[in-house]
Amino acid sequence: MCEETKVNENGDVAIKLNNITKIFGSTVANDSINLSARQGEILALLGENGSGKTTLMNILAGIYLPDAGSIEIFGKKVHIRSPKDAINLGIGMIHQHFKLVDVHSAADNIIMGNKSEGIILKKKRYKEILEISEKYGLNVEPRKKIYDMSVSEKQTVEILKMLYRKAKILILDEPTAVLTPQESKNLFNILRKMRDNGCTVIIITHKLNEVLEISDKVAILRKGKSIATVKTSETDALKLTELMVGKKVTLSIERPISEHKGNLLEIHHLTTENDEGVKTLKDVSFSLNKGEILGVAGVAGSGQKELCETIAGLMKVKKGAILYKKENIIGKSPEEIIKMGISMSFIPEDRLGMGLVASMGMADNLLLKRYKNGKTPFVEKKEARKLSYELIEKLGIKTPGIDTPVRQLSGGNVQKVLLGREIESAPNVLITAYAVRGLDINSSYIVYDNLNEQKKKGTGILYIGEDLDVMIELCDRIMVLCHGKVTGIVDAKDATKEQIGLLMTDAFGKEEDDDEQD
Amino acid sequence: MSRINNKEPLIRVVKKAEISGFSLAILSVVSIVVAFVAGGIFFSMLGINPLSAYAKIFAGAFKGKIAIIATVKIAVPLLITSLGITLAFKMQFWNIGAEGQIIMGAICASYFALFHSDMPHIPLIITMFAAGIIGGGLWGLIPAFFKCKFNTNETLFTLMLNYIALYLIIYFKEGPWRDPSSGGFPKIATFVENARLDKLLGVHIGWVIALVLVAAVYIYLKYTKQGYEISVVGESKNTARYAGMNVDKIVMRTMFLSGAICGIAGMTQATGAAYTLSDGIAGGVGFTAIIVAWLSRLNAVMCIFVTLLLSVLDKGGSVMQSAFSVPTYVSEVLKGIILFVILGFDFFIQYKVVIRREKKS
Amino acid sequence: MKKRVVSLMLVCAMVLLCAVSFAGCGKKDDVKQESSADNKDFKVGVIHIGDPADGAGYSYAHDQGIVKMQKELNLSDDQIVRKINVSDGDAVATRTAIEECINDGCKIIFGTSWGYMDTMEQMAAEYPDVVFSHGTGYKSNGKNFNNYFGRIYQARYLSGIAAGLKTKSNKIGYVAAMDISNSEVTGGINAFAMGVESVNPNAKVYVKVTNSWFSPDLEKQAAEALLDGGCDVIAQHCDTTAPQLAAQARGVWGVGYNSDMTKDAPKAHLTAPIWNWDVYYTKAVKAVMDGTWDGSNYYGGMDEGLVDISPLSENCAEGTKEAVEAAKAKIISGENKIFAGELYDNKGNMVCKEGEVISDADITGNMNWYYRTVVAE
Repeated sequence: MCEETKVNENGDVAIKLNNITKIFGSTVANDSINLSARQGEILALLGENGSGKTTLMNILAGIYLPDAGSIEIFGKKVHIRSPKDAINLGIGMIHQHFKLVDVHSAADNIIMGNKSEGIILKKKRYKEILEISEKYGLNVEPRKKIYDMSVSEKQTVEILKMLYRKAKILILDEPTAVLTPQESKNLFNILRKMRDNGCTVIIITHKLNEVLEISDKVAILRKGKSIATVKTSETDALKLTELMVGKKVTLSIERPISEHKGNLLEIHHLTTENDEGVKTLKDVSFSLNKGEILGVAGVAGSGQKELCETIAGLMKVKKGAILYKKENIIGKSPEEIIKMGISMSFIPEDRLGMGLVASMGMADNLLLKRYKNGKTPFVEKKEARKLSYELIEKLGIKTPGIDTPVRQLSGGNVQKVLLGREIESAPNVLITAYAVRGLDINSSYIVYDNLNEQKKKGTGILYIGEDLDVMIELCDRIMVLCHGKVTGIVDAKDATKEQIGLLMTDAFGKEEDDDEQD
Repeated sequence: MSRINNKEPLIRVVKKAEISGFSLAILSVVSIVVAFVAGGIFFSMLGINPLSAYAKIFAGAFKGKIAIIATVKIAVPLLITSLGITLAFKMQFWNIGAEGQIIMGAICASYFALFHSDMPHIPLIITMFAAGIIGGGLWGLIPAFFKCKFNTNETLFTLMLNYIALYLIIYFKEGPWRDPSSGGFPKIATFVENARLDKLLGVHIGWVIALVLVAAVYIYLKYTKQGYEISVVGESKNTARYAGMNVDKIVMRTMFLSGAICGIAGMTQATGAAYTLSDGIAGGVGFTAIIVAWLSRLNAVMCIFVTLLLSVLDKGGSVMQSAFSVPTYVSEVLKGIILFVILGFDFFIQYKVVIRREKKS
Repeated sequence: MKKRVVSLMLVCAMVLLCAVSFAGCGKKDDVKQESSADNKDFKVGVIHIGDPADGAGYSYAHDQGIVKMQKELNLSDDQIVRKINVSDGDAVATRTAIEECINDGCKIIFGTSWGYMDTMEQMAAEYPDVVFSHGTGYKSNGKNFNNYFGRIYQARYLSGIAAGLKTKSNKIGYVAAMDISNSEVTGGINAFAMGVESVNPNAKVYVKVTNSWFSPDLEKQAAEALLDGGCDVIAQHCDTTAPQLAAQARGVWGVGYNSDMTKDAPKAHLTAPIWNWDVYYTKAVKAVMDGTWDGSNYYGGMDEGLVDISPLSENCAEGTKEAVEAAKAKIISGENKIFAGELYDNKGNMVCKEGEVISDADITGNMNWYYRTVVAE
């Protein structure tokens, strides 16, 4: 439990990270990151997706081992090899997905895994739990079962669990993403109380207004590097956005003008829910024209995946309509959508998990959407093999052979196989998610060129991206999503990164949030 | 904050990159050699000369026409069943219920053998064959249906269905199909000559059926649209949905086929080998076949070789057992040791062990 | 009649043996060599449903017979091919085991369990040069497939005497493997009940069926149910010692089966009907060896020594020995045929008229009634 200390600007350093580096395959997730936080301080960790925030915090929580760099906790150099080590060091992390056992009560979940005593004396434990609850103003019924709890209650149980385990450093990964504004306010009160009790709180968030509201200091990460740590009292939303998105870089990507006109896809008041009943898309409306690249910007998890999958017929829709050439395609299976003569290609975010079959070769993967061609019960493999060689030539795909499992190809080549297949099917609507993720500059440009070629043919392209510089140059319009809502659709020619950045963090969206409470 | 925090873990298991076909073959051969050496050590511990024991096993399986025929007879149901399992496992549907599917195939075929044996021979055999397919297939379809509709656990579901099938036989044996001439001893009558599978080269034609099925399953999985669907669904249901496949339909269809093939094994076993229906009709083949399918890496042609290896061990092992007057458990233990070692090598094919190197700084 | 034939045969055999050994001792070594060389290729196969190494029970009893036969005929270990744990519910396994015996060169194969019958019948047609001898069944082909069994009911009658003298509650329990439709079991129960009645007319025999030849759990449950009903002697026709152990646990008594179970339940066991299979095995193997095999079925009794009861234990009531010996003498002499009229079943029907004797065929195949002192559920 936290020591009773006063709020102290110059409290002891609780965490110090020195040159932490973590590499996944060819991606550098954390590049020599330095970070420190004091006792009795709330530190906000800010950054676009892919900037390395979650990786860094997972290293602190013992989920990943850093490849280089050192960690000091309360002045001592440590290796955190497992979540258990992290707990022993007083570090508690609350993930976006709660780690609670549904059929157990709150108290059981809190006590669980605590091996300090052989016999669990429940009465004594209940008392302890109540004491902690009172101290921090947490409202938890110890005997209530988890499955009876709301998201916010579950989160409170998680926090209580960490406090019960005597965590002195609490890390919260986007804690407000699942909360209503009212619940967020409660959470902030709890966090403030913890700070006042001497705890160190690190909060990962995308919402600038929340950063400004709750934190004492803000550390900004960009593309795996630590950019700056600033005092919250000395900054504002605009400055933070600038730090987060960086200066504009000119890439000179071509933006051809298509001669095709007219509406291709119309989305009306689209609303979806996840399994827990949390809205993932909220009343989304927009249209996609022929020969247009519509960019979709937003921090990860703002509803991009849901948007793609609902259009492709893979996800159930709660409310709204998707009109393709004036026909509503909601409720149709992916197969039916293809059978209707709609060639809708969708390059999913999770390429090997969804777009491609990892253990199959390139040729077999190209068959994925065309294997039903032909009247015999046999798959026409010859065509696919021919096409494979064509694509290898055209896109410069590097593979030992067209039968080599695609999981052995590098990320860039995997991406090219996927994109090549979708373009080859001559779609009317092409949906791509993170099409250039993991690609080198050259390959990226090949992808842009290919997309532009499709655009010229009249294809409507939904481009879900993360690099704002690219989107501003490539797209015709950019739609910004934040927490499943459209916070704005801007014309790419006139847009600035700051403008989009602010829309992404929903800096203007405070009032709407409040409206939605009822 | 104890001292242990200061060390990296000593041993870590890391997944290997793909290994080439050649080194895979080498590793497989090495694994078999090591397996037999391990078995040899076991024999030595029992005071039996390993070489003469293996010689006896080999002779027991191949010396003389009767022995070869018996070995083939053991292999036939095993091979057919492993093909059925291969289909399901390719789809990553863990069908542990081959035993029950064999039994249901046998029960359905036996119905015609017992009560419609007056049919002309060829139509009767075809009818029994179809009955075997339908019996096994439906028994495979049930868990697939529940998996698709209610997301039940197929492993438990198929396992439990085995027992239901087994007790169904006992019910028929003691109840409606009890042989009235058996003097109170519960058993089902022996099939008449007309209802027995024909023989070719001394063995019932189940072996021809098995080889035809090997080719069929191999082609089905490799070259047909449905086979392609199975691979995609097996790899990722999300990908399959994304590609517009009706996953539920594919799962149910494949499980019907998987069960149907196992049902064929039951049919050939009842009408070709046992000439009757008894509760020992499946005799654990449904479980052994899982090992066959797995060791064959779900390759239908490889199943032939693995089946042969196991059949030889089975047949030769029992001869060895009576020749050396050792308990039957010896040959069981030997089989266990050999399979364990071979499967253990599978680990080294997929993973490598990284031992921490001490760094001096 | 039969007794005389057998004793004559025995005498002949002994004379022959003596002659051979004398001849061997006397002068010519090559005669002995020749005869053993003749027999060296002769192999005997035996298919066991269990494992004789278990030390008791059905397969053990049969294997003891094989061992004694081997000694008697001076066969080497190589000449006996044992297949153990061969499930009689698995026709394929049965066939494989028998084929292995044939492949090993066996000229006569004993199948000891009922369930091997159909497979042996089929294979007898396929391999006319091999003799298939099947125990406890009813099928045969008069040539190379016969069946062998014995009048175990005679031994059960004697064990009934021991039980009848011991009981105080006049309630005797009987754990039966199969129900009334199984002639072998039912005949055994009836003979036992008659044995009981011969010394204790007031006692009743209570039957509980397990529907399994070998099931320690079910046998134990059945025995306990009988004990709960007030029985103070538990007899059995099933393969494990569980009923005897159940009786011992309650401090009462029991009559075992197949082997002397006194060593398993020393405080409870009285005696057990037992088989001396060597009597038949020796005779059969010798006949095939000598070329005198005629394919006839074998149904031996107490007179030949095929069936008997194990030595009476100390638990037996006073006077048991005398009563049993008197009865035994009458059985051996043929004076007491056991299933001789006038007999009534437990529903009051007359099943055998005064002066008549139930035929062997009916004893083995058609005894589907319980004797009048038997109480079944």
